[in-house]
Amino acid sequence: MKLTRRALAPALVGLTLKGAPRIEGGFALENVEQGHLLRDRAPLMRPRESERVPVVIVGGGMAGLSAAWWMERQGFRDFRLLEMENEAGGNARGGENEVSAYPWAAHYVPVPDTEAGLVRELFTELGLLRDGVWDERWLCHAPKERLFIHGRWEEGVEPHAALTGEERRQMERFATRMEEYRETGRFTVPMERGVAKSTAAEQALDRITMGEWMRREGLTSAPVRWLADYSTRDDYGTRVDDISAWAGIHYFAARQSEEKGPLTWPEGNAWVTRRLATKLRTYVRNNSMVFRVERAGVRWRVFTQSRVYEADCVVWAAPTWLASWVVDPPPPRWVMDTAPWLVSNLTLERWPRERGYPPCWDNVIYRSPSLGYVVATHQNVARHQERTVWTHYWALADGRGADQRRLLLGGDWHYWSEKVLADLERAHPDIRQCVSRIDIFRIAHAMPRPLPGVMFDERRQARLRPRDGFAYANCDLSALSLFEEAQYRGVEAAKYALGFAGRGR
Amino acid sequence: MVYVLFLSVFLIAACGLIYELISGALASYLLGDSVLQFSTIIGAYLFAMGIGSYLSRFITRALISRFISIELAVGLIGGFSSTILFMAFTYAGGFRFLLYGMVLVIGILVGLEIPLLMRILRERFELRELVANVLTLDYLGALGASLLFPLLLVPKLGLVRSALLFGLINAAVALWSTFIFREHIGNLMSQRLASFAVVGLLIAGMVYASDITDTADAALYSDDVIFARSTPYQRLVVTRWKDDYRLYLNGHLQFSSRDEYRYHESLVHPGLASLPGAKRALVLGGGDGLAVRELVKYPGLESVTLVDLDPEMTKQFSTHPLLKSLNAGALTEPRVRIVNDDAFPWLERSDEIFDFVVVDFPDPNNYSLGKLYTSAFYRLLRQHMSASGLVAVQSTSPMFARQSYWCIVETMKAGGFQVYPYHTYVPSFGEWGFVLGAQREWTPPETLPGGLRFLNQATMRSLFEFPPDLGPVPVEVNRLNDQVLVRYYDKEWREITR
Repeated sequence: MKLTRRALAPALVGLTLKGAPRIEGGFALENVEQGHLLRDRAPLMRPRESERVPVVIVGGGMAGLSAAWWMERQGFRDFRLLEMENEAGGNARGGENEVSAYPWAAHYVPVPDTEAGLVRELFTELGLLRDGVWDERWLCHAPKERLFIHGRWEEGVEPHAALTGEERRQMERFATRMEEYRETGRFTVPMERGVAKSTAAEQALDRITMGEWMRREGLTSAPVRWLADYSTRDDYGTRVDDISAWAGIHYFAARQSEEKGPLTWPEGNAWVTRRLATKLRTYVRNNSMVFRVERAGVRWRVFTQSRVYEADCVVWAAPTWLASWVVDPPPPRWVMDTAPWLVSNLTLERWPRERGYPPCWDNVIYRSPSLGYVVATHQNVARHQERTVWTHYWALADGRGADQRRLLLGGDWHYWSEKVLADLERAHPDIRQCVSRIDIFRIAHAMPRPLPGVMFDERRQARLRPRDGFAYANCDLSALSLFEEAQYRGVEAAKYALGFAGRGR
Repeated sequence: MVYVLFLSVFLIAACGLIYELISGALASYLLGDSVLQFSTIIGAYLFAMGIGSYLSRFITRALISRFISIELAVGLIGGFSSTILFMAFTYAGGFRFLLYGMVLVIGILVGLEIPLLMRILRERFELRELVANVLTLDYLGALGASLLFPLLLVPKLGLVRSALLFGLINAAVALWSTFIFREHIGNLMSQRLASFAVVGLLIAGMVYASDITDTADAALYSDDVIFARSTPYQRLVVTRWKDDYRLYLNGHLQFSSRDEYRYHESLVHPGLASLPGAKRALVLGGGDGLAVRELVKYPGLESVTLVDLDPEMTKQFSTHPLLKSLNAGALTEPRVRIVNDDAFPWLERSDEIFDFVVVDFPDPNNYSLGKLYTSAFYRLLRQHMSASGLVAVQSTSPMFARQSYWCIVETMKAGGFQVYPYHTYVPSFGEWGFVLGAQREWTPPETLPGGLRFLNQATMRSLFEFPPDLGPVPVEVNRLNDQVLVRYYDKEWREITR
């Protein structure tokens, strides 16, 4: 600890500073250097071994695992999944300490409606859906969410305490408008179904920002703008004044749940990815960073440090923009901004004091720059919980992703842990007395940002068409970082690969 | 200057009366029988004031300095009087002795005040005027205090902080006296320092008063508190009034020893007496051992497992002579195994199967407790029961919380049980509800164990009849992702207690 005047003066007269106990912690899962090896095209060793395999999946996040899941389900076994980290999962990884398991990023899946066939198939297989009934154990327990506003916690995330008549009317009109958009059936999950049916009206929404749309609708009061901005930061890492109105509306108008959800687990969506990775373990190769993919005749050569794979077909489930650095001949540059995120897991020795509605799964602080925190132990059925883990989410959504990334990577652990504590202190004045550990994951490229023009962009659509045995599968092709999109893209690419490899045999 | 002096008279008169009222109120709260308490406290207090007035004749020198010392002493002792009495009541013995000792000391000190002050003011006023003014203000102060006390102080500040506040007023009178009479005080600096010190102590007392009242919650209970302890899980308080012992958890009544047999006989026997082959029983909650006491009346039972969250609770009800006598030492029987764990996760980890289960949790007044009344919980419970097994669930009152009661019934149904709702009248609780859950058709037992005080064949049949005002109402199922029960319960009990 650095000695400051504040600490020194009492020490001189033999007193200890009555302050917070020391908080431990550090950065977790950092792999910036390895990623930048690719960017800088560092000379990497030529692998000595080679393996012939019909299909290679690059990337073991939700998209890659879904591609593998689909192929295995169809009885196809001649493929490998190459994951650069030591564990598959991507944005759906999780950690664990002696108090609880906790998520490192994605932490819930909305209860799929009857349209979302693939998600239902997967969740039936994982035992979450039995005879049309969802397993209560993993539906988000009550109480679900609360908002810290006007000095106390209120039930629900939408502000409704102390609104003026006009503010209330705008909140209601916003909800009505979203309901109308839902009824058009053109905002869907997966989004491609709705996009295919879109008319000029929807395409026009993609040319303006959500903020502009709200101004045109006369939705200008602070509470409704806050709600929209919170939601677009929360799901898409983008401010309401930057995001495509189409994407902003999609957040509110795309889903119609049949059950009070979402589905959530202490370790977040790692609950799903770990089960998939275990089931598919014979195909998964961890610690296998793909640093080059080259065309060789009618095949593809996929290089990792230890082995080169000769494949008929490549499913590219890593971020799409990364392909320009790795694939030869290089595809056209993929220009899509990505949002950096800061995810902090705080270990609490006791619950802080607070006022109002009791602790929920999702706890949001009105007008905070962060997204609030999720209680990782919320799905624990114990009546008494002395200690807990909170996952604090912060999308660095102001301005361009690159600038925010510099800020994200520039701050050391002390800087960011202090920021997180100061944020929580607004609602929990004694938080520093409760926290014993803060582990932080700085996700430089956490998700694509759906800025205006992306949804109906010809170049995006062009990427969706697989060619010569090369198929993109990442959810950034949807410009929406959603579990369902990743799964859909993965399965679509797998279908193509199956057709292609089948032809080859 | 003159006004300040008369203000002092007014204030110390008010303070004197406040201490008397606080002692009386505290004694009524803690010991009951308010007529007796107030009479004896007022009598003792006035008598002590008489002693003080008499003793004032022996103070001959340095009147002002003595007066300041007395003010500080009154401020300190009076100010902390209710704190000390609360703590003594909860944590130490000899409460009455301390109470009357305190009343005597404060009374004597207060009795010294007015005579001394009159002698101090003697040189400044004519006797006729002085007596009239001082006594007028004395009685006015008393009036002010007696109005302030019930209307503002007790409801807003509580007894502990009210006493501290008036102690602070006494100390303030002492403090400004060191300025008004500075030419007449020999040891001015030390008097002033002492005044500041007392003011500081009392302010510190005010700041920490909430902690003091948190621990000394005896005032909540109108009966004698014979046992009080805070554990990491809850606050246990046992009270006694004559031969009636009552257990409170976090201020909620759990049983009264006068009628708990009605509750526990109803909870256990309709189910267990119908299972002559039952070997293994499980009790969830119920760390007081009263349900276990009923269970061990069945010689056929080979094991009874009691799962209660709080080790302090099961320890006290296994060892404390009085508490142990309430459950007839049931928790120390060799057949009984005590597990201190959280019931829901314990069941998730356990692979044991039971023939009879008693679920005796506190009422679902918050989301943590509400989890223990969900369809997910009952489904899990069913996996731990033999095919012929039964479960009896305490299910709050079908009278006061009718929706809550029928919600538990519906939820058990959703959890896969065939349900048999029943209810019993327990005077200290009112009409109380239970649900028997079975996995096949159930018929009431032909025989009951001997020695029961409430249940026989006739009463048992009547328990399963619901009069129209207790009958079923349409309700939703309580689920982990939608705890309707906590909302029903909160709404219904708020209507009752409003």
